[in-house]
Amino acid sequence: MIEGAHDAQLIGRIAAQDQAALRGLYARHQTRVFRFLLRLVRQEAIAEELTNEVFMEVWRSAGSFEGKARATTWLLSIAHHRAVSALRRRKEESWNEEEAAEIADNQDNPEVELQKTDKAAILRRCLENLSPEHREVIDLVYYHEMSIGEVSGILGIPESTVKTRMFYARKRMSELLKTAGVDRGWP
Amino acid sequence: MSEDETTLSEREEIEMLLPWYVSGTLDATDRDRVERYLSDHPDVQRQLDLIRAERHETIIANEALPTASAGALDRLLASLPVRRAGLWRRLSESEGLRALALLVSPSAPRTVRFAAYAAAFLLLAQGVAITAFLLKGNEAGYQTAAGGDGRRGPSFFIAFTDAASSADVTSLLQDVGARIVDGPKTGGIYRIEVRSDDTSPPTEEALRRRLAERRDLVRLVLPAKE
Repeated sequence: MIEGAHDAQLIGRIAAQDQAALRGLYARHQTRVFRFLLRLVRQEAIAEELTNEVFMEVWRSAGSFEGKARATTWLLSIAHHRAVSALRRRKEESWNEEEAAEIADNQDNPEVELQKTDKAAILRRCLENLSPEHREVIDLVYYHEMSIGEVSGILGIPESTVKTRMFYARKRMSELLKTAGVDRGWP
Repeated sequence: MSEDETTLSEREEIEMLLPWYVSGTLDATDRDRVERYLSDHPDVQRQLDLIRAERHETIIANEALPTASAGALDRLLASLPVRRAGLWRRLSESEGLRALALLVSPSAPRTVRFAAYAAAFLLLAQGVAITAFLLKGNEAGYQTAAGGDGRRGPSFFIAFTDAASSADVTSLLQDVGARIVDGPKTGGIYRIEVRSDDTSPPTEEALRRRLAERRDLVRLVLPAKE
């Protein structure tokens, strides 16, 4: 709550064009925003550019922040929309779940072969091979610790869709694990 | 719908909530619901183990990622759209006033803070004296911007030096045909308006220079745009 109040205070100052406050908000949240974007776009330079676009958007529209949601939710919501636009522009990585599911596991090398003996490493590889849409919801829930309502706000989808998307993301992960030789016994 | 289907549906609903249950981000109602279900269906514990493993690896994968480069913030700040700040903001960002703010901050040494308060008091006292003097029916009196004889020439924000007396200020304002229309504001700033029909930029700049040249009396003078 105190953290939230501090963020709200910073955003209020940013609305008055206070660069020091922008620096403060950036210092507090840039890692979270950058990593969220990097997991989606997979290229550091693009993730960094998009991170700056997120904070630029904050600079422009801080006055519209009503404080109803946490600042992190607002930032990740902006980041999500920036990433979706960037991915659509690039068209290198499909935002479509089914197409993304076809990503081939063709990067085997000695290191990967070694990883295949490690169940945790296999799980991480399967996470990487999920579609951006599924990886995003998993990151939001597990890493960013967002509630159902917050994920709904960030992605702009109903809460029921958030739950089913997460469910199918996990289900897809089980399928990928099974293909990699790890049967989780679920679903 | 058979009882089995109903049971399956409820199980799926609960399974959908489990990731948030493990992350501790479920609301109280759903958390109670999950816990009731878990106590009746211990086999679901296995699901929780799977989710904990997924969560653990997701955190590791994210934490292994780099952070943005050191120069990213500088690039962001350099690319911010320039918006002409208001006068008060510009003043608050001025080195002098920023220094004063730092001096009166609780972290400043007590003696320094006392000196800063004393300086601020003198500034305030000067403001009170000037305003009181000008309110005594002087020609260069204090009026609102809407008042006066209808002629509204260039206006300026102006601050006077500590050495400037009320008589000096009145004399200066009469010399340029100006009157105080607002103030004092923070930092001892007044708004003055010159009685003139000529509001052209050259005239405005000439007046500003004329005021600025009186460094013995004028600490700061800036055009006051509407």
